[in-house]
Amino acid sequence: MMDRRSFLKAGPGLGMTGLGIAGLAAPALSQGAAARTLRFVPQANLANFDPVWGTQYVVRNAAAMVWDTLYGVDAQLQPQRQMVESEEVSSDGLTWTFRLRPGLKFHDGEPVLAKDAVASLNRWAVRDPMGQMIRAIQNELVAVDDRTFRWSLKAPYPKMLLALAKNNAPCSFVMPERIAKTDPFQQITEYVGSGPFRFIREEWVPGAKAVFAKFNDYQPRSEPASWLAGGKQALVERVEWLVMPDPATAAAALQNGEVDWWENPINDLIPQLRRSRNILADVADPLGNIGALRMNHLHPPFNDVRARRAVLMAISQEDVLRALVGDDESMWKRLPSYFTPGTPIYSEAGGDLLKGPRNYEAAKKLLMESGYKGEPVVMLVAQDQPITKAQGDVTSEALKKIGMNVDYVATDWGTVGSRRAVKTPPSQGGWNIFFSWHAGADCINPAAYTAVRANGDGAWFGWPKSDEVEAKRDAWFAATSLDQEKAAMAELNKAAMEHVIYCPTGFFTFYTAWRRNVSGIVKGPLPFFWGVSKS
Amino acid sequence: MFAYALRRIVATIPVMAVVALFVFSLLYISPGDPAAVIAGDQATPEDVERIRASLGLDRPYLVRFGEWVWHIAQGDLGTSIFTNLPVSTMIAQRIEPTLSLMVITLILAVGIAVPMGVIAAWKQGTWIDRSVMGFAVLGFSVPVFVVGYLLAYVFALELDWLPVQGYTPFSRGIWPWFQNLILPAVALGGVYIALIARITRATMLEVLQQDYIRTARAKGVGQRGILFLHALKNAAVPIVTVIGIGVALLIGGAVVTESVFAIPGLGRLTVDAILRRDYPVIQGVILLFSFTYVLVNLVIDLLYTLFDPRIRY
Repeated sequence: MMDRRSFLKAGPGLGMTGLGIAGLAAPALSQGAAARTLRFVPQANLANFDPVWGTQYVVRNAAAMVWDTLYGVDAQLQPQRQMVESEEVSSDGLTWTFRLRPGLKFHDGEPVLAKDAVASLNRWAVRDPMGQMIRAIQNELVAVDDRTFRWSLKAPYPKMLLALAKNNAPCSFVMPERIAKTDPFQQITEYVGSGPFRFIREEWVPGAKAVFAKFNDYQPRSEPASWLAGGKQALVERVEWLVMPDPATAAAALQNGEVDWWENPINDLIPQLRRSRNILADVADPLGNIGALRMNHLHPPFNDVRARRAVLMAISQEDVLRALVGDDESMWKRLPSYFTPGTPIYSEAGGDLLKGPRNYEAAKKLLMESGYKGEPVVMLVAQDQPITKAQGDVTSEALKKIGMNVDYVATDWGTVGSRRAVKTPPSQGGWNIFFSWHAGADCINPAAYTAVRANGDGAWFGWPKSDEVEAKRDAWFAATSLDQEKAAMAELNKAAMEHVIYCPTGFFTFYTAWRRNVSGIVKGPLPFFWGVSKS
Repeated sequence: MFAYALRRIVATIPVMAVVALFVFSLLYISPGDPAAVIAGDQATPEDVERIRASLGLDRPYLVRFGEWVWHIAQGDLGTSIFTNLPVSTMIAQRIEPTLSLMVITLILAVGIAVPMGVIAAWKQGTWIDRSVMGFAVLGFSVPVFVVGYLLAYVFALELDWLPVQGYTPFSRGIWPWFQNLILPAVALGGVYIALIARITRATMLEVLQQDYIRTARAKGVGQRGILFLHALKNAAVPIVTVIGIGVALLIGGAVVTESVFAIPGLGRLTVDAILRRDYPVIQGVILLFSFTYVLVNLVIDLLYTLFDPRIRY
């Protein structure tokens, strides 16, 4: 039986390629209006719009248009001032004083004041891992005057600016105080920011469309834009997000000129898109993604580190990545590390088990030594996520080769999301393995990388516990120079590999595609709409 | 008949109550957790737990069910967990595209399928009959999404006659509205046409063997009159029944069609809500679909009296 995915791949055979577009389907907009409106197909549906309450990437991406941040990380991964004009830190590192730029305005015309920043930081700090660290050592966070606020701490926090600049969700977006006072576990009901685009709530049809209009009173910085930093110049009047659940439809719409930019085309369709002279496609985010096979450390067999190491020895990242991304090796690489390759403090220390040819016999022996007696290993595999399905299909075969009795549970992402939180034994509704992936931008360092934590009950699903890993992580946070950070990262990666916090299944990237008349698209961890224009 | 219609309408209340109980219970026991989806993949179990509590999802079954029924009784379908919008507002945003798609498909299907079935019966055993039946088999066999992709490829990408995707509200003009619905309606209508054409043919064949048809022929009634006045009217009851049953097919098919053609209708709303476990939206939409189906059946029952005077309520 032919399914939809197979049908898509059969497209070339059906002549659905190289569709030299003779003419574009009549757009609904006039030519002038069309040039001022950028039509964008996002990675997912914008189902809610509170970037603190809901931390999905799609919400973060939309929020970055509407809400500005105090600092922003640039393409060199460095925090840069954004809404902040200047900052001062006391010599003991305990008091940070921030001053806002003059003239900042919210979309409702009200000025951005220090009290707004304070309320926003208070809300953000409840939900964000770095914010929680700061809260734990906080003395007070107060507005000194309309443009100045002060954060005083009980202990130095060298990563303060990174915390305020990072692009990992939740970002520290600044909202008006009245909105930011909303309980962080409740959804906001007003979407008023001070970013370069306004959210047009009246046109929002969740699941179908979200519209953003240029904010004419936005005060961009004078520096050139670089990711979340610099001058965010809106060059189009309007950005329409058009949700298209079906990749073939999105591809056809892009070819037909009905949309201008498709955030994440599936790799299967890239050859077809590239044959169109009107379409360009390139790597969306060089920081890519890291696949993750997550093991439950609470129950046998993975409560024994030897069983976890056996998994590391058995997994062929290459097989996983070929199934996931395809044979274009420029789009993936093996990853004997927990961190994003090609970044300044990347380390492969301790990653030897993931290198070289797979040794199933040795893995099998180690698994037996762990006391494994053939009990079912419950593997949750979400079938509606191509990334998790490919990982599950390939690794289940590898684990069977080392004698593991894999109970492959084909389910959906929603079910995985709830079942992975269950701590009971696998035979009582729990689990042994599930699959996920992490954005490479989140894995540059341990700052917002919850998946690499090993603090037992407080850790991410699987609940690894290792005081050594936690100590190495703390060492990175305490590092004050690049060399210190590099050393701490190497130690952390080594400890995490020895303890097998989880099994990385490889590094991979995806494409983004746009029509040739669109310019200014920048590679990065999220789609940046400032600087993008359309002719 | 008015009393009958009134009785039937009143009878929908227990039917809807059973549907409500069934839908709520099914969702309650089904795996999945909207709090986990909201919190995002990187959230800690504690975050998920706090969101679940804030949404009231940690309360007992009876409390949640009682509260939901109480609101339904007041005409309040609840609020979406994700969008924070009233479910009725979300349905209102989405109902026009789905209704438009279903109406166009219905008109298209009945307009094509009934004459096809009648002609196939009239020309039984000929190439015309076999062609109609062959088309019917094809209509049943080819999935809606395949037909959709092929139509989009030919008529949108190659010929550039129609748009690939989207929906234009009726208020922006008939042609913009209609041109967005042509391909989806044809794709969705295939199965429906096949179903109606087959039942029309079968019923017509049976009716054409009746004595009164022979009598009509003996009286000199023309072929057209025999087919469309004498035979079709008497064959109408099963055809109308199938058309009614087919509404369920349309509702199911709309889910796929709306995804393939990126139409922001109730089908996509349902799928999105199910994937996210947005319980109030799922419950609201299923109640609406069920109510629609019950009403359609009532209308079909009432239509019987028009086609067959022997039927009295």
